[in-house]
Amino acid sequence: MDEREIRLRTSRRRLFLKTAIGTGIGLSLVSAFYVGASLRPKQEVTPDKEPLKPGDILVYAQGGGEPKPIRPEELKPGDPFLLAYPMDPKTKVVKSGEAKNTVLVVRYPPEELAPEVASHGVEGIVAFSAVCTHLGCIISQWVGDKKAGLCPCHGGVYDFAQGARIIAGPPPRPVPQLPLKVEDGVLVAAGEFLGEVGVKAEAGFCRHV
Amino acid sequence: MYKWLDERLDLTGLYQKVLRKAFPVHHSFFLGEITLFAFVVLVLTGIFLTLNFEPSIREVKLPDGRTVPAAYASVLYIDSLPFGAVIRSLHHWSAHVMIAAAFLHMLRILLTGAYKKPRELNYLVGLALLGLAVVTAFTGYALPYDNYAVTATRIGYGIANSVPWIGGTLAQVMFGGEFPGSPHSIPRLFSLHVLWLPLLLMALIGGHLAIMVKQKHTQPRYAEKVAPGKILGVPMYPQQMVMMVILFALYVGIMTIIAGAFLAHPIEAFGPPTPNTPAVKPDWYFLWIYGILQLIPSSWEFHVFGATIGPEFIGGAVVPGILALIGLLLPFVDTRKDKMRYLELPSEHPVRTSVILALLVFFLMSTLAGYKIDFQQKGYLLGNNAVLWTLVLGGPLLTFFLSYTLMRIFYGKREEEKAL
Repeated sequence: MDEREIRLRTSRRRLFLKTAIGTGIGLSLVSAFYVGASLRPKQEVTPDKEPLKPGDILVYAQGGGEPKPIRPEELKPGDPFLLAYPMDPKTKVVKSGEAKNTVLVVRYPPEELAPEVASHGVEGIVAFSAVCTHLGCIISQWVGDKKAGLCPCHGGVYDFAQGARIIAGPPPRPVPQLPLKVEDGVLVAAGEFLGEVGVKAEAGFCRHV
Repeated sequence: MYKWLDERLDLTGLYQKVLRKAFPVHHSFFLGEITLFAFVVLVLTGIFLTLNFEPSIREVKLPDGRTVPAAYASVLYIDSLPFGAVIRSLHHWSAHVMIAAAFLHMLRILLTGAYKKPRELNYLVGLALLGLAVVTAFTGYALPYDNYAVTATRIGYGIANSVPWIGGTLAQVMFGGEFPGSPHSIPRLFSLHVLWLPLLLMALIGGHLAIMVKQKHTQPRYAEKVAPGKILGVPMYPQQMVMMVILFALYVGIMTIIAGAFLAHPIEAFGPPTPNTPAVKPDWYFLWIYGILQLIPSSWEFHVFGATIGPEFIGGAVVPGILALIGLLLPFVDTRKDKMRYLELPSEHPVRTSVILALLVFFLMSTLAGYKIDFQQKGYLLGNNAVLWTLVLGGPLLTFFLSYTLMRIFYGKREEEKAL
């Protein structure tokens, strides 16, 4: 080691420069992370994306035009289920902007229902979340001979009469039930979903409020 | 004119250095070129599409009175332009060809052992390119925002969401919020699909080619007899260039006919998104994952350190991840000491060749499992989970032993003769 190198090693100017560069890089990384956190978008809740609330009126999900509430007499036992969205009873906003609000309504002969399931329904009419718990598709097909719902994405089959028990396919858990009541001749949500809707999301480390 | 340019740019030097580069000729060597041509066509057609596409899901009114997302409306508009539908279809078809050609190119590399020293690094770049190409294709899938594309992309969102610990954040960053529903997701996927991922692809393709030029091709065996120690092939200019131009023209011509005759992804028929999930199938290169997702029962769920490892994560991420890991580690497990110049014959490496064949059968069988719902609805024996599991696991095993035994019988003797 020659003299010059020794002088460089002990030089305070070098140390100062290194500290300054290090601090600069560190601070810019920290600020980059702060900016980078917004890669995860803010949640903006518009009225049509509000979550379902008790008291919401269930309306037909298909067909445009005026929202049409579902009347109990329009459902027959053995018929395929209907897909529905909740509608705010005061503002008349259909909450169709949030896929997790999709509800399916189906009527069974009351004696076929498990007692627990029947207690949350009305005259054999029961409602469940329509969002498949496997990968979040909408359960949209009716299997007539099994009286069950099929998610066409990966073939999950749910038997709603038995509390949406999975009788085929890969879904990890049943879809949650939605308690129902009848008010003014139309179906109304009597409470929140009785469980978590949709795919179980892994908690992120920085959730925006 | 030439003299004027040559004095300033040293064209003669360039010609002697670069354009006389020898290209060994073998029909399997064109697979990489076809991948490149497909990418060029993707960029060109993609430019046309971006100029007319509106990356937004705000609601707009169509002339016929329907209210649809703006992205969907703008793709309808593209389809109504002269040759618009054909160009969009050519874009979609070229994505298929690019992934297929890249996969076959990889098979060629695997079968001839061209991933060995000194080309390990370029092999890894190639694997990254294949993965990136698939991801780019996936981010483009949702852009037309029709019912089919939305459902298919939703499954991808679900898989990203199911990754333990980081899944929620990962899915939100990649898809710009919840998919479907978030107004940020189409702009996010759009910018990934048309800007950042293509830039990354271009950089990696440039690197892939530069390393290839630097390291030179592997050559067919006969080159060793004809001109030992030298590269035997045609020069880049003019012979190789002519072949490339012809191949490119053929590619564009044939693919345009196919794209025009079989319009890909008819969004008019699929309609704008509704809560009614159509029976979707992903593109063929995802069909094997789709098949595995259907095979894995719901009971495969574990809880580790507060995270849930569910069937959707195992099927959608663990199985492909294991395969990718094997691919990444291969050049460091199957090694050789000297620098490789000449192709290895598949018949001389019965284990490697048999494993590759078995993997191909695995892909085919799990693709078959992707049709499980259809088999079930028709009441076929193949709708049965146990039958499919037997095929997916037994098929590759049987292939391996069969191919290994056959290769030993037919080619094993030759080695003994050589030894004598």
